[in-house]
Order: sequence, then C-alpha cells, then structure tokens
Amino acid sequence: MTNKDTWFNRYVNSLPTRGWFKLLSRYVVVPYWIWRDPKPKLPGGPRESPQPSENTQRMMNLIMPLKDPSPMGRAMAAMAIAQNVDEIFSGLDNVGTVHTARFLILGDNLCMISVYDGDFSNYIRDFIETIGSVFDAVISQIKGAEHMIPTCDHVEEFIEWVHDHDLFQAPDFPTDLFALQDAAKGLPTDGPAHEIMTLPRDLILQLHANPNLSLGGGYRSYPGYSAAQVRDKFGVGW
Amino acid sequence: MHYSDLAKRIVDELLRPDGSDKLRPVHTIGIGATGYFEPSEVAPQYCKADHFITPRTKATLRFSNGSGSKTQHDDWSDVRGMATRFHLSDGTDTDLIMMTLPEFFARTPEEFLEFTLAAKPTEVHWVSPWKKIWQMLHLIPPQPDPYPDEEISPNEGAIKFANENRYSQLAVFQAAAIGAPVSYLRAAYHAVHTFVVTGEDEVERWVRFTWQPIDGVKNENPLDPPGADYLQGRLRDRLADHTSRFTLMMQIGEVGDAFDDSTKPWPPHRQRVMMGTLTLDHAAEDTKAQDDYFEKLSFNPMLLTPGIRASEDPVLHIRKEAYAYSSGKRDATPCPFSGGAEDDQ
Repeated sequence: MTNKDTWFNRYVNSLPTRGWFKLLSRYVVVPYWIWRDPKPKLPGGPRESPQPSENTQRMMNLIMPLKDPSPMGRAMAAMAIAQNVDEIFSGLDNVGTVHTARFLILGDNLCMISVYDGDFSNYIRDFIETIGSVFDAVISQIKGAEHMIPTCDHVEEFIEWVHDHDLFQAPDFPTDLFALQDAAKGLPTDGPAHEIMTLPRDLILQLHANPNLSLGGGYRSYPGYSAAQVRDKFGVGW
Repeated sequence: MHYSDLAKRIVDELLRPDGSDKLRPVHTIGIGATGYFEPSEVAPQYCKADHFITPRTKATLRFSNGSGSKTQHDDWSDVRGMATRFHLSDGTDTDLIMMTLPEFFARTPEEFLEFTLAAKPTEVHWVSPWKKIWQMLHLIPPQPDPYPDEEISPNEGAIKFANENRYSQLAVFQAAAIGAPVSYLRAAYHAVHTFVVTGEDEVERWVRFTWQPIDGVKNENPLDPPGADYLQGRLRDRLADHTSRFTLMMQIGEVGDAFDDSTKPWPPHRQRVMMGTLTLDHAAEDTKAQDDYFEKLSFNPMLLTPGIRASEDPVLHIRKEAYAYSSGKRDATPCPFSGGAEDDQ
C-alpha cells in the first residue's frame, strides 16, 4: 500500500480543529443540514416501558425559563423555593415515590431535578395534590406559565407543560437514536437501516431540535429498587 | 464431537490472510495469567455453582487482542478478550469468556457467517483528502488514515454490512471507536450472551456477566500511541510485585429483555449483583514453555457447571462447536468438548 500521507492530507485531517473551518461548519454547514434534514423535537422524560426496572428511579429534568432572569428575578425564584421548604419536603414525603429532588437556578432557568418511581403523570398529579400551592408560587416566576395558576384547576394542562419542559433523554445505546427519530417522523422503526456513519450528523441535528438533553438514563447505585423498597429494607417507618 | 458445516465454515472463514491456521482465527495474540476468585457474600443466593459457594477458586486466564492477525498491534483500536477458567473444587473446570465490546454483531450463526464473509479483511485504502472534505461537509466523520503497517482491514466490509443490517449497527459502531486500553487490566469485559443461573432457593434468573477492573478503565491517547508491543509487558510488570483485581458484576434480566439475542445489550437500569472478586497475581513469563502452555489452552463458553446453564441464544450454542473445531484445527490442548486433536480435523 502506498503511503499517501501528504501535507494536504494532514491539513485536511486538521480541519476540524481550525478556526475558519469551525466557523464554516457553524454558520454554513450545520444550518444547511438543519434546513435539508430537520429533526422533530423528541419528547422529554423517560420512555414508556412495561419492564419493572424502567419504572423505578426514573429521572425528571424539568427546565423552566425564568420570567425575570435578572439577579432580582433570580432572587424571587430562590425565595419561592426557600419560603416553602417545609411544604416541599412534606409533600415529597407524602408522594412517597421520590428518591431525590432538588431545585437549581442554572443559566436563565429554574430547574427541578428529581428521581421518582412509577408513572410520570401520576407523579405530577400527586405533586399538585400535595403541594399545588408551592407550584403556584414557583411557576409565577416562570415565563409562559402564569395562565396555569392555580395549577389545581389546570392539572392536565400543567402535566403536559411539565412534560414539554422535561429534557429529552438520549438513548443509552447510540444507534437507538435512529429508531427514535424514525418513530417521531411516523416511520417504521424496523425499516431499512440507516448508514451508521450518519449517526454523528443525526445527533448534531437532534441537538438543534433538542438543544438540552440528558445523556442516557444515568448511573444508578442500586438499580431496579423503588424508594418504598429501600425504606422498607431499612425499616424507617413508611 | 460432531461439527456442523456451519460451525466449521465460520471458523474457516474467520482466518485472515495475515493470520495462521496454527493459531486462533480471532483473538490470535494473547498472554496468560493466573489468580483466584472469591465470591461475594450474596453470590450463593443467586448462583449455587461451585465457584460461587467455595471461598476461593483458582483461575487461569488469557487476555487477547481481538484481531486475527498473527502480528502484534497492541496500539491499534481493537476489541480485547478476557477468557477465564475457574478450577472447581471437584477437579472440573468452568469457563467465562468476555470481550470489551458489550454486544455481538449477529443474532444467529447464519447471520454471523454472513457478517464474517462481508467483513473479510480487504486491502486498506487511503481516503482522498477531497473525499474527506466532502464527508466533513456532510457532517460525516472521515474514515481514519490506515495505521503505518496496516495492509488489510475488515472495517470497510463491516460498515457496509452494518449499513444494510440494523441488528449489527451498535456492535460495528462501537467497535469502530473502541480504542486501545493502557493495559489489559484497565478494561471492562462483557460476556455478551445470556446465561441462566440457579440460586440456593432454586430460582432461575436470566443474567449477563461483566468484569469490571478495580484499577479503572482507561484507554491510550490515539494521537500518541505507545507502540505495537506494550500490553504483555505492562501485564507482567504490574503482576510482578502487585496484584490486580476485577469485580464480577451480574445484571439480572427482566421479561421483555433480549435473552437470546446478543446484539442487544440490556439497559444499565437492570438490577445488578456483585458476584465476587478476581485477584490476578501472576502473568505468564516470556518463555516458550509458558507461551506454549497458555496459547495451547482451549476455552469454551459452553463449558459450564451445575448452577449455570446456557440460554437459548443460538450464537452461544454454536460457539461450543466452533471453539472445539478451532481447537482441533490448531492442534491445541484438546477442547473439553472435542474428542482430541486428531479427531477434530
């Protein structure tokens, strides 16, 4: 085999690290492909599955844009949480299916990150039932959510809104992205195979449709066990 | 033992032009090691096999590069293998064979033969810089340049096959980017197939095994390769005055999981159990006697023991014949399932 490692070949190999090529990619190549092969926004949250371990320790990554992202607005959002800590903790105890939950202010968003067992809609419905007033206080700080106050009168609409703001969870196995994109377009997921080297492009285009995402289902130290099973094992009373 | 034409054909077709019929057709370059396995406290609840109820079981291992080339290329991106033989208390053995790729290329032996034929190594080509630019403008990663001494490669055929067969895509995609570990002791290995274990309570569970290195997983920097021959030396250096350990993790499958299809790994959310710890304390010395002993070993993934049985995965079942036939073909220490080297030709 003839060695064809010419200076031109080496230069081309270095293109992905060169500033001008990065600019070309960012402002011309990627926008062209977004126009040529648009991807539908993929839905957030864990996907439906009848399997037991897929229904425990599910992740919710709720990203809510702040109405006022100034320091004052951020402080208002922080206060909405801080003034309701007892209500939130008590509500989480009553819901009973939550492993962990926390709020973050990240960028211009208020985020609720939680790990829960069971059905997503029931999780949110239980939450509204137990701490709906806290949700009202929280979403009063959120852009485009005021019309759902009080949440107890807009339960189904609020569940849909939360689902829409829950991050898309990228599949645990990269080539599964093809099937998710096909399904979102209404195509059969067992149709002709995609060219595997187009997977990086499909990921780039998906990140345009879903700029934020959760990378896979994440690590679990004790996968497959519900919060109730863990509590029962330790004998902590409920 | 009788070998089906399919098993023989698969083994024969796997042989590369730069391989040798006196060596394994794949995982050709390797090194032996020894150590012992200690089960965890909970292991007997899940599997009553001898090595999960005996406090300490001696083990013999062989680490390998996945390629069928007889020339050593440790720094090339390649799947690595870890075959473990447990020497049980009743004098029998059981094997556990794993590789760094978490899934396989085909669902059935017939499909695997098709894949083997499609991925037969062909002369490597330099992709022209103009084509690379075209690929980059299509947001497709250009095919890497060949390694300096690389003459043939299965990659082109494997990718073409994967472009036509969804089931092989994950394995081909991950194999293409698998890299080279800094040490055989710093890679995670997967048994890929499903086995059925029986616990003390006589409950059967469908499971998959993984070795996880206590030293942690780490790959070499592909832009600064350490040279073609470093893995065996590093193994000997590490075990000369230290031990190195792996934990045996066991995933428990659920209804709906692919029990008989090794192209589909199970999600990481399945319950998993730490079944024990393997401690390695000796690497094969760089002598002909040691090399002869370890390289002549014949492992077989179907060499099981009461408490563990094979699932219905057809690829796992044909490996029993294929390994035995290959063992005879290369005049190795007879495979436990073969009638001796002479009978296996």
